[in-house]
Amino acid sequence: MPDALPFPPLPWEAPITERPLPKDAGTRLLRDLPAADDATLLGWAAAGDRRAFDQLAGRHLPVLYRVALRITGQPAEAEEVVQEAMLRLWRHAARFDPGRAQLGTWLYRITANLAIDRMRRPAAHLLDGAQNPEDPAPDPEARLVERQRQTLLAAALAELPPRQRAALALSYDQGLSGAEAAAALSVSPRALEGLLRRARQFLFVRLRGASS
Amino acid sequence: MKPGRFIRLLDTHGADPARWPEAERAAALALLERSAEMRAAHDAAAALDAALRDSLPEPDPAALARMRGRLARAMAREPLPRAEPALLRWLRPFAPFGAGALVTLMLCGVWLSRPGIPEPDEFLGAPRLMAMMEARP
Repeated sequence: MPDALPFPPLPWEAPITERPLPKDAGTRLLRDLPAADDATLLGWAAAGDRRAFDQLAGRHLPVLYRVALRITGQPAEAEEVVQEAMLRLWRHAARFDPGRAQLGTWLYRITANLAIDRMRRPAAHLLDGAQNPEDPAPDPEARLVERQRQTLLAAALAELPPRQRAALALSYDQGLSGAEAAAALSVSPRALEGLLRRARQFLFVRLRGASS
Repeated sequence: MKPGRFIRLLDTHGADPARWPEAERAAALALLERSAEMRAAHDAAAALDAALRDSLPEPDPAALARMRGRLARAMAREPLPRAEPALLRWLRPFAPFGAGALVTLMLCGVWLSRPGIPEPDEFLGAPRLMAMMEARP
């Protein structure tokens, strides 16, 4: 049996250590990823640099996760939403034009829309108390009151329509301006104000009604 | 500023004056200063803000690390990003939302404006056929 094949192996048959490196492999390894801004990282990712995209993901995951968690109320759903949003960014990285849209706004929009779509599915309406964290109050009585208040709020939030939760997430949790939040939700600033107002009035009435 | 407008401001933007529209901020703060009723409404809005803020936990670092790892594995199965063809990239700014519907509408208009289908008699040539039959000896 001959030691070597009479023809060279196909690229995917070669051991990983013997596969050809990308043409710019040397420069890729020298890139200062933490210092690069989002547009630069996205440009490198568009050229196939997965490390640059991983750096970008590390920056945006926490914020997007909070948006998704506010809308879905379920950590597992929020994780899936964020992963799907980032995968869409990877697929469209080469087509993304920073001159036409801001990356942050684009990601907020995709994440919010994915989360809203998930909440519209029939079996996805039960919030599991993910928005009810441990209360740091040291006094047991104060802790109990705080926990009750958070439970009430979680129940009231669960009753809000997903779009109103998305408006709360972007405007209050993330502190986006009215124009930015409206752009992320594809509504007018006036419509966004309506969403916020209805959400707050509903929450206010529910909390006040429960406490009285 | 009237109290009703101030309440609406609180309902929309919350209790933080930094989030109020700049054009109305000074008037709203002045009203807040002189009205005890508005101060009570402001306190209630601030309590709701605080409750909302406390209701959303900071993401767990372990969960974030897990998400990042899962994303990296999912990305490894994806092909590399592909650039948009130059022609499409050039045409995209000229294709706003609704362009497809507009083109379809125009095509329908062109199709409907074509000459109508000929009458069945004319189409089948029946009068000509009958004339030929009558002319036969």
